[in-house]
Amino acid sequence: MKGLAKGLAYTIRNMSKENVSYSYPDEPMPMPDRFRGIQKFYPEKCIVCNQCVNICPTDCIQLTGKKHPDPNRKGKIIETYDINFEICILCDLCTEVCPTEAIVMTNNFELADYSRDEHFKDLRWLDENDTHIREEN
Amino acid sequence: MEWVSGLLASEPSSSNFFTYIFISLPLLSVVLGFVTYAILAERKVLGYIQLRYGPNRTGGKFGLLQTVADVLKLLIKEDTRPKQADRPLFWLAPIIAFVPSFMVLSAIPFTESVVFANFGVGLLYFIAVSGLTTIGILTAGWASNNKYALMGGMRSAAQMISYEIPLLMSLVGVVLFSGSMNLIEIVEQQQYVPYILVQPIGFIIFVIAATAELNRIPFDLPEAESELIAGYHVEYSGFRFAFFMLAEYVYLFAMSALITVLFLGGWQPIPGLGFIPDFVWFAIKFSIVVYMFMWIRATWPRLRADQLMEFGWKILLPAAMANIFLSAIVKELFF
Amino acid sequence: MIRTEEMLLNVGPQHPSTHGVFRLVVKVDGEIIKEATPVIGYLHRGTEKLAEDLQYTQIIPYTDRMDYLSAMTNNYVICHAVETLMDLEVPERAEYLRIIAMELGRIASHLVWYGTYLMDIGTTSPFLYAFREREMIINLLNELCGARLTFNYMRIGGVKWDAPEGWIDKVREFIPYMREQLDGYHEFVTGNEIFLNRVKGVGQYTQEEAIQYSLSGANLRCTGIAYDLRKAEPYSIYHRFEFDIPVGETGDAWARYQCRMAEMAESLKILEQAVEQFPEDGKIMGKVPRIIKPPKGEVYVRIESPRGEIGCYIASEGKKTPYRLKFRRPSFYNLQILPKLLEGENMANLIAILGGVDIVLGEVDG
Repeated sequence: MKGLAKGLAYTIRNMSKENVSYSYPDEPMPMPDRFRGIQKFYPEKCIVCNQCVNICPTDCIQLTGKKHPDPNRKGKIIETYDINFEICILCDLCTEVCPTEAIVMTNNFELADYSRDEHFKDLRWLDENDTHIREEN
Repeated sequence: MEWVSGLLASEPSSSNFFTYIFISLPLLSVVLGFVTYAILAERKVLGYIQLRYGPNRTGGKFGLLQTVADVLKLLIKEDTRPKQADRPLFWLAPIIAFVPSFMVLSAIPFTESVVFANFGVGLLYFIAVSGLTTIGILTAGWASNNKYALMGGMRSAAQMISYEIPLLMSLVGVVLFSGSMNLIEIVEQQQYVPYILVQPIGFIIFVIAATAELNRIPFDLPEAESELIAGYHVEYSGFRFAFFMLAEYVYLFAMSALITVLFLGGWQPIPGLGFIPDFVWFAIKFSIVVYMFMWIRATWPRLRADQLMEFGWKILLPAAMANIFLSAIVKELFF
Repeated sequence: MIRTEEMLLNVGPQHPSTHGVFRLVVKVDGEIIKEATPVIGYLHRGTEKLAEDLQYTQIIPYTDRMDYLSAMTNNYVICHAVETLMDLEVPERAEYLRIIAMELGRIASHLVWYGTYLMDIGTTSPFLYAFREREMIINLLNELCGARLTFNYMRIGGVKWDAPEGWIDKVREFIPYMREQLDGYHEFVTGNEIFLNRVKGVGQYTQEEAIQYSLSGANLRCTGIAYDLRKAEPYSIYHRFEFDIPVGETGDAWARYQCRMAEMAESLKILEQAVEQFPEDGKIMGKVPRIIKPPKGEVYVRIESPRGEIGCYIASEGKKTPYRLKFRRPSFYNLQILPKLLEGENMANLIAILGGVDIVLGEVDG
């Protein structure tokens, strides 16, 4: 009987304690700086080295490059860059290997959509995803 | 009152039929109102105990329309029935479960004047009719043709048999002291001393047995969501499911009212505070009892079926018998 | 004439108390279980086969998804295996960060177990109390490595991130708070007579049986065998910390409960010492070649995860990817005793026993 009474005392004490609920959809949920959200891509920084494609454990990145339009400069520039968020596991490896930090993580994590097709994020979308960009990389 | 008696004595006719319906409608609406807000209150109390808010979206900050929305949802939901189910019984079960829960309310005196049926054996009537619901639950469990539901129904029947007896036995003490089974007289006898002080053992046994009758934690074995998923109503959806839910909460209302009447002195005020109207007194005592049920639900785990039986037959029943014996001696010596 | 028959009952894969997609086909006579057959594989993703085509760094995020309640230990076991194979040195600071992260993960994992177990037994409140504390741990780990569940924190030769500023102090503050809450749990649940009745003597087995079935973790220690790999074969820097191995005596669900609750307190002890000894500065990555190519050979390492002994076997051919990789997943081994335990029990005990074994389906199915 003592244990049962103790339990009752414990619950009633908790009744006046502060709630710990997040009011998430009403208020945005702040994430720490290191949080791995949807990537932001800087096309101008990309050197088309393909390292992110190689390291991706789920093969969700696809990219193509083209020759630099200025004939005097060597190297390539990026033409298309797609990440398939149906299979991306946000593991951070692509940003880790990128030598120019052309791809970085942001704190945005809301990926819910009405269609699967929306999960194919292309270069333009990833370029425009420029809020809450991670500072440490 | 005389008018009601006259009505009862008169020849059956269609106008009488409608009169009955019109008299019972206010009670039904009060009860439904209670059920609506009891569910909300339960969710809120559980929420605050568990450091959450509970419903807080539908109907303003306090979720005042949450249950209304839930019921509406259930009403417009598709009414599914398993192909192999026993059709007539499946249809009948929610009705058998619900109707007695509403019938017992007629015997409860809420205040001195608000009584729907004042009859001599009100107490006996309450216990007898409330026992019928288990048949509804058993029917539901059988008719669903679902193994989990069947188990729930069987557990419910076993539980009812084991706990109905101590429930009744614990009331014998009250009847001994009041010398009546009429609920109004029982309340009137408690003008100075409520029976909780005279019959503490009886009160505890009654509350335990009542919790078992209500299928609430720690005795919610017929439902046991972590074992039997939802027990007897696992195959029910839509409005039939709502009926089971309704029956459960109407019983919560009825049992709490009965405990208030039998042990807490019903509408009798604490001496010296008689200026507060009697229905307020009833409501206060009643709310305390309902809160206690919710509080227990938030705290204790569930018993196992065999432990439930053991507890019912080996502890509760002997204790209830000893209580009768003790009450008789006390009554003989001191009153 | 009354005729009775045994029923074949499917518990799961959609059942609230199987903690995921686990299925048990039980033959019941009334409520008494005659025979129970676990059916697993609903969450099989073929991690081991997939790993054969992945570079070692790429395998780490996959291990996060095995035992998703304590992904840190999984991260560690693969890194530890590759480091052993390549004979790599891990900097001290990285080792401390790993230990702090793993022990936090162990507490979080046990908290989930505690909450869900009590939910199985029939009370919902402890779940929410436990999740309040777990949320704090998750937030701490989120600050450290940028994810709440699938951490992908450790790298071969070190860790990905250094501790952010003030993070160690936050862990330090968390320890006394967690102790207080742990006392609260004991007050709330441990003495509760209904709970005691539900768990005492339920799912009992002896030391011999536990060893025969290759049980590990709290499932083994509850029988009285003080076997914890952190002590028996100290890996990382566990030899620097003082802590006890909580053991039970009876080998029933009650002993398992006590063991796990005590393990949380022990983890707090380790955390306290680790935070005290935490080096002021230092590197977090050892000297690791740019392309990880372990020499030809094979290695098996094992560590203590919250669920028991998690092992990793790698057969390397000297290439970028392993030739064969195998995880010894403790939940899978611990589950094997279930049919034996369930025989002759009733439905309510089924839940109490299954919950007491503490399985994570991601790990069982691999």
